[in-house]
Amino acid sequence: MVSSNTFHVVSTELTVGSFAMAGLSFLLAILASRNILGLQSRITAIDTVAHATLFFGLIAMPFAIFSGVQSSPGGDINHPLLVNKMLLSTASLGLAIGVLASRRMVGERVWSQPYSRELQGIGGMAASGLILLTASIGGTFSRGESLLDIFKLPYETVPLMPLWMSCTVLVIALINLRTALQKA
Amino acid sequence: MNRVLLVLLLSVCLLAPGIGSANPNGVGAGEFDAQCGGACHGDADMNRSSSAIITLSAPNEIYEGLLTSITVQIESVETTESGMLGVFLLSGLSGSQDTPADAGWDIVSNSEGNAFNYLEIMVPNGRPTVEVTWTLKAPPVGEYSLYGAVHHGTEDGSEAPFYGVSPNALSVNVLQVPEDLPRLSPSFEPQIQRDIGEPTTMVLTTEFVTEMSIEWRTSSENTVTIQATKDSEDTWSFELPTSIQPGMIEWRAVMSGEGPEQTTPWFQLRSDEPAWEVDNMLVYMQSFAMLFALMAGFMALQKTLSGPEKKVDYGELMIPPGGEY
Repeated sequence: MVSSNTFHVVSTELTVGSFAMAGLSFLLAILASRNILGLQSRITAIDTVAHATLFFGLIAMPFAIFSGVQSSPGGDINHPLLVNKMLLSTASLGLAIGVLASRRMVGERVWSQPYSRELQGIGGMAASGLILLTASIGGTFSRGESLLDIFKLPYETVPLMPLWMSCTVLVIALINLRTALQKA
Repeated sequence: MNRVLLVLLLSVCLLAPGIGSANPNGVGAGEFDAQCGGACHGDADMNRSSSAIITLSAPNEIYEGLLTSITVQIESVETTESGMLGVFLLSGLSGSQDTPADAGWDIVSNSEGNAFNYLEIMVPNGRPTVEVTWTLKAPPVGEYSLYGAVHHGTEDGSEAPFYGVSPNALSVNVLQVPEDLPRLSPSFEPQIQRDIGEPTTMVLTTEFVTEMSIEWRTSSENTVTIQATKDSEDTWSFELPTSIQPGMIEWRAVMSGEGPEQTTPWFQLRSDEPAWEVDNMLVYMQSFAMLFALMAGFMALQKTLSGPEKKVDYGELMIPPGGEY
């Protein structure tokens, strides 16, 4: 049987690879939607690749999170880096679902409207960026270093809200989600 | 519908290895029966016999309610590649209700700096023998049995759950405390952990003690002897050096009085970075909150920016429907 450590490596590589591809595609999609570099004729293909890779990464991500928690020492979240990994990966998960759901709601015309196209592209790239940051923290945790160490990011600082604030944000978010879905 | 079922099925298949796999990182120190320490390792239908040779040793005289030490020595150690080895101190082999506490013993500390009957150690590659020591408060007068047990994996990664136990029980005869025996007070609880950089003054409460010296040692240094200061009739104190890095310092008291001179077991005092703890509930709740906040916020914003789908405006038709003027 595969151990949770190995499974975490596999699912993480799938997630990070897919999201990296998605991030690049979203950048190209913004350029194409503005007809920079003569990419406008490719907008449909780029749009498909961006959202398909994001979707694939989205499927792999819960497995990466789940196996990551299992493979941590004691199977618990007991280190600032692990907490930040958890927070960043779920933030990316939410953003990625939002990007995909918006694309489904609005359709391909998301790339033809000002502000909407920039928001879609930036949303997709931000989701990818958060995942790359999460992977970097993983490298710092397991190997003591990562490529993004040059930026001296405050990985050890945990921005944790009190429980009542998290519950309030969650309730507001659910109401907001209901409103957004009703509009659709 | 079929797609949903397929996705669910694939999800279950993908999750199965994560759920069902072993714990190569261990389960952490704790108070465990032999069976509960790792169900696969303790289950006679699943486990394999460890090649480790386990022996226990204890002082000749153990007195009711006083502190004593039990050492478990493990030879021919085999572990996973990481070197992790789980070690138990047990009062029976029934599989349940067999911790030392179940037989009346009170674990005060162990050589890993916690107070559990199960601990996990990292065995350096190539070291054939390891020793683990527990300091316990003895139960009431009587005959007691203690066992040592280990569980571990293998280096080949086959995840076979190995389990080994000492072939013979260590038989311990707990005696009545002699009237004038110099001793630590039964209520004394030694400190077992401290933060790095924290100065440590130990205060000992005693009975029938007129003189006390303290021996302390670290793994890399010889034993140092100091005199304890008498604070009052039955209270003594001494200072241990401040640690500047994570590690262990051991100390014991040599007590003199009217009765025979007594030496306590070695007490372990572990120095660690100040512990970092977080309420996992807070982390999970904030994660969920951020997930839904970002998802809903993005969808609402995108919906607002994109606006309703514009219908093609064909202007006023010059030819009315039906083609009649």
